[in-house]
Amino acid sequence: MIDELAYVVIALAVVAVIWGLVTAVINKPPGKAQLLFAAGLEIVTVVQSIIAAAMLATGFRPMELATTIGYLIGIVILIPIAWFWANAERNRFSGLVLAVAALAVLAMTLRLLVLWTPAA
Amino acid sequence: MTGSPIQPADSTVLKTNSGAGRVLVAVYGIFALAATARASVQLLTRFDEAPLAYLLSALAALVYIVATITLARGTRASRRLALIAIMIELAGVLFVGTLSVVDPEAFPRATVWSVYGIGYGFVPLVLPILGLAWLWRTRPVNH
Repeated sequence: MIDELAYVVIALAVVAVIWGLVTAVINKPPGKAQLLFAAGLEIVTVVQSIIAAAMLATGFRPMELATTIGYLIGIVILIPIAWFWANAERNRFSGLVLAVAALAVLAMTLRLLVLWTPAA
Repeated sequence: MTGSPIQPADSTVLKTNSGAGRVLVAVYGIFALAATARASVQLLTRFDEAPLAYLLSALAALVYIVATITLARGTRASRRLALIAIMIELAGVLFVGTLSVVDPEAFPRATVWSVYGIGYGFVPLVLPILGLAWLWRTRPVNH
């Protein structure tokens, strides 16, 4: 895991959360730009998980290995599922669904930053 | 809990999975994922450290999975299962939450429901209440 990349994920996720809240408040389904932005967040998240997996494969050992692996896998499936769920019924709540997923990505990234500590 | 019930287009299919219900399903889905992952790690790697806490973790995971699927299906039959799951969820978070505060020794390791879900921003405490309120809002209307 690269800390700087984690900060990028956090920043993108914050924007995605706010964007989802805004479209819900103004009663609009997510637009194309918003959906592409969510896809961008997903791509950066996937890149981060791949980098972390490579570091684990080459010998890095965090304190809680099993939990860390669980987070690295779990974090990449949230946005795709939310994307499908948000588009299956498009209205103001679609944006909230995306916001919820982005908030989870945000929380999991913060947790990963803590988990990513070398085992003593 | 005073809102008027949403009139379903088809009176036999009630939409727990429509409108705001979709956000509820999304949150339940995330907790199903989180609780399942957490319980799996706990049960597989260190079950003997705190068997009670970890079995309750597994129960929490099961409850979230059932609630997610049944709310997402939104049929009349799935509503009943959703109600049961969410009532167990509410009882679980209150029981485990209280026990973990009164007797921390019983819960040396955290579960989703420890201290009423403090590790998850107390969402585990609010979620079953929202779930029950939503089931009430979308309840069947008998003419």
